[in-house]
Amino acid sequence: MDNIVSLAEGFINLFQEGADVFIEWMGTIVPLVLMLLIAMNTIIQLIGENRINTIAQKSSSNPLLRYMVLPFLGAFMLANPMVHSLGRFMPEKYKPSYFASAAQFAHTSNGIFPHINPAELFIYLGIASGIQQLGLPMTDLAVRYLLVGLVMNFIGGWITDLTTSYVERQQGVKLSKKVKLDN
Amino acid sequence: MAGKVKIVKGSGGFGGPLTLGIEGKKDKVMYVTGGHRPEIVDRICELTGATAVDGFETSVPEDEIMAAVIDCGGTLRCGIYPKKGIPTINIMSTGQSGPLRQYITEDIYVSNVGVNQVSPVDESDISTNRTDEADREAETVYTKDKKIMETRSEQENKSLLTKIGLGAGKVINTFYQASRDAVQTMLHTVIPFMGFVALLIGMIQGSGVGDAFANIMSPLAGNVWGLMIIGFICSLPFLSPLLGPGGVIGQVLGSLIGVEIGQGNIPPNLALPALFAINTQNAADFIPVGLGLAEAETETIEVGVPSVLYSRFLNGVPRVFVAWLASFGLYE
Repeated sequence: MDNIVSLAEGFINLFQEGADVFIEWMGTIVPLVLMLLIAMNTIIQLIGENRINTIAQKSSSNPLLRYMVLPFLGAFMLANPMVHSLGRFMPEKYKPSYFASAAQFAHTSNGIFPHINPAELFIYLGIASGIQQLGLPMTDLAVRYLLVGLVMNFIGGWITDLTTSYVERQQGVKLSKKVKLDN
Repeated sequence: MAGKVKIVKGSGGFGGPLTLGIEGKKDKVMYVTGGHRPEIVDRICELTGATAVDGFETSVPEDEIMAAVIDCGGTLRCGIYPKKGIPTINIMSTGQSGPLRQYITEDIYVSNVGVNQVSPVDESDISTNRTDEADREAETVYTKDKKIMETRSEQENKSLLTKIGLGAGKVINTFYQASRDAVQTMLHTVIPFMGFVALLIGMIQGSGVGDAFANIMSPLAGNVWGLMIIGFICSLPFLSPLLGPGGVIGQVLGSLIGVEIGQGNIPPNLALPALFAINTQNAADFIPVGLGLAEAETETIEVGVPSVLYSRFLNGVPRVFVAWLASFGLYE
């Protein structure tokens, strides 16, 4: 009988551990993320999408604007996945590079601005919750994540320019470097 | 050959039934499923006479797509095609979820579809559901489908008081709508994932597997070389598109490393390089879709997919290393 009871206790314990983790997150992470989401959603609504489109049109000529400033602002304003739609202002040749950079900004900024990519928040939050458990501030990690991202995502976009040229030669095609806009 | 098919949802699925057939230029079934070709694609093509196209290798002009077949677990892809007005068939059971969930509706999306859910239809059964909107009612000052506030805002000469009222109303409404969206996101996207990860962590901790797990994880994620190996594996061009979908692998790896950091088995400053190591495959599965959002041409997608996979590979390990350099002085 005792064996059955301890077996049952062990079984329940499997889920109790998970429940403790869950309710701790519900008490700490959920309210904070929710408040941030509301504030960010409001700011984005008030600023409007048109302004970021204007910036995008002017950013296609310069690599620093193209792979650092625009994807950072775009990720903040339009969030994942609509940040990729700004790529339509780029020449064909640079679209893969913009994508490469923007997709990474959807993560590296996500620590401070969780509205950008809430569906994949746990890439950051999974690791950061360990930091929180130690009683250390998560913000330090989030800020450095953002800063390293700012530099490395730019480099990532730039390197994609080179790999695109390589694949172009491999496949024997040439992508246009001129912006083409129908509308 | 050129018949129509009826597609219903599988058990636990969402949406449908959809009735599909070739209409004018729309004669292609595009599948974006990270490499393999689901059986239902062949079945649909057999019944309708449509052509199958691998959306991962090439792209199709949107006006030629009859339907899109995807295997999305609930982040992005399942909303993108419905948003563009393309009927979407998901072989996973995902319902309305992800950031584009408002576009996932029963008249354009059906999920958990297998071969048994696809059946031919007789032409005679089909009736067009779409009827034109009824004629507009004659203009009056107040109409029953508009609130007084909406009527006021359309009037041309507004008094100052009306303007202030409308302005305040607009700001409050913006906040309120933002809050509604945020709560939706938490309920449908963040909390479900939290539940899943908490269960996983609980099972690992409660069953005693945790200690065994720590023995594997700590040497690998507990120093920069191990993290660089994780980053290297995740960025391999033939592997990265398989690890990408929904960021699920990255999120689970992140949570497991988080547990080890919390227990002191991994030094906290390594959290920074770890963030980069578990995500070198970032969006590798999403390249054709993302380029589609950027209105890229077919050629660009054909060049762009391998190009981004290569650049992810070249960048992956250096990113981890730079992040490790940047982690000096963190939490000391």
